[in-house]
Amino acid sequence: MLRRPSARRKVGTEQIALNLVPMMDTFVTLIAFLLYTMAFIVMTHVETPLPTASPTEVAEKLKEKPLQLTVSFRKDETEIWSPFKKIEAKKIPNTPEGTPDVAAIHARLVEVKQQFPNEKQVVLAPNGSISYDSLIASMDGIRMLDATDPIITVKSDTGVDQALKLLFPEVVFGNILSND
Amino acid sequence: MPAFRSIRTRRRKKILNKGFELQLTSLIDVFVIILVFLLKSYQTSLNTLTTTQGLQMPISASQDEPRDSLQVIITPEGITFEGKRVSDFIQDGNSAGATEGTYKLNDTDIDEGGRRIVSLFNTLVAAREKSELLKAKSPYRDDKGNPLPFDGVLAVTADKRIHYDTLRKIMYTAGAAGFKTFRFIALKKET
Repeated sequence: MLRRPSARRKVGTEQIALNLVPMMDTFVTLIAFLLYTMAFIVMTHVETPLPTASPTEVAEKLKEKPLQLTVSFRKDETEIWSPFKKIEAKKIPNTPEGTPDVAAIHARLVEVKQQFPNEKQVVLAPNGSISYDSLIASMDGIRMLDATDPIITVKSDTGVDQALKLLFPEVVFGNILSND
Repeated sequence: MPAFRSIRTRRRKKILNKGFELQLTSLIDVFVIILVFLLKSYQTSLNTLTTTQGLQMPISASQDEPRDSLQVIITPEGITFEGKRVSDFIQDGNSAGATEGTYKLNDTDIDEGGRRIVSLFNTLVAAREKSELLKAKSPYRDDKGNPLPFDGVLAVTADKRIHYDTLRKIMYTAGAAGFKTFRFIALKKET
C-alpha cells in the first residue's frame, strides 16, 4: 500500500536497541563459574609401589637371573648396573652442582632399553642425602622418553611393531628397609 | 539573547527526558574476550589434594593426573596427614624462622632403629582401619560378594628440599601401616 510522502519519511528511521542485559547476566555467571572451578596449580604424580619380596620370588629370581636394572645414587656419582651382570655397569659422575647428571643417566638407560625393549622396571637405590627435587628429576629421566630419543619398538600381541612412549615406567625403591 | 537561551534549554530538557540507555556493546566485547580466554585455558582438577603455604614442590614432566587419595604433606616444619599435624621436625637455631628445616625428628618420635615414625604410623593405621570399616559397610562388593579391599594409596606431597632419608622413613612407616603404593605429587612441567 502506498503511503503518503510525509508518512514514508518516518519508515525505518527508528533504531532498534538490542537488549543485551540477559546476555550480560549469562556472561557474568559463566565467568564467575569458570574462575571458581578452574585449577590454577596443575599437579601431576609419579607412582611407585612398595617393594615386596617373598622367599619363593627371590628363589625364582635367582634361577631366572633377570636384568633387574638398578640405579644407585651415591654422594658423587650414579651407577647403572645389574646384579646379575646382564649389562656393563656404568658410573656417571654428578654435575658440578652436586646433583645427578640426569641427561647422562637418561642416555645410558636409552641404550639399555634398546638392548632390553620389554623391560619396564628399574630399581632405585638413592643415597640418604639426595634431595627430593633431584630424585623427582632423575625419576623423570628414568621413566620418560624424550622426542629427541631414538625410536624403540616392541612387538605387540598381534605381531605389529609398536613405538614405546615410556622408557622404564615402573620405578621401585630398593632400599626402603635399609638404614644406610 | 534570552529568547535563544530559552529555546536551547527547552531542547536540552527534551533530550534529558528521553530514556537513558547504557552502551553495553564494548562491555560485551570485553566479556567475550575474557570468556574465550578462560575457556581456552580452562582445566579442572579431579582431586582434592592440597598444598600449604611455603611449600616448594618439585616439578615433573609426568603426564599422570593424581586422583583422590589419603595425603601426607611434609613441610620444613613437620608432617601433616589429611590436614592434621602429626609430627614436628626439630627446629634448631639455624632453622627457626628460616625457610629450610632440619627434617630431623626427636629420638622419642622414631623406633625400629630410626626407620619408623611412631605418631605417623598410629595415624596411618587408624586411617586404614577407618577406610576398611567404610568399605565393609559400603554396598559396593567384588565378584565374590566381599567388601572391596583397602586400596593402600598414599599421596606424598613434600617440599623439594627434603632429603631421601626423611622420605624413606615416611615410606617405611606407611608400608608398615599397610599402604602399598606411593604417589609423589609434583607440579606439572609446562610443555
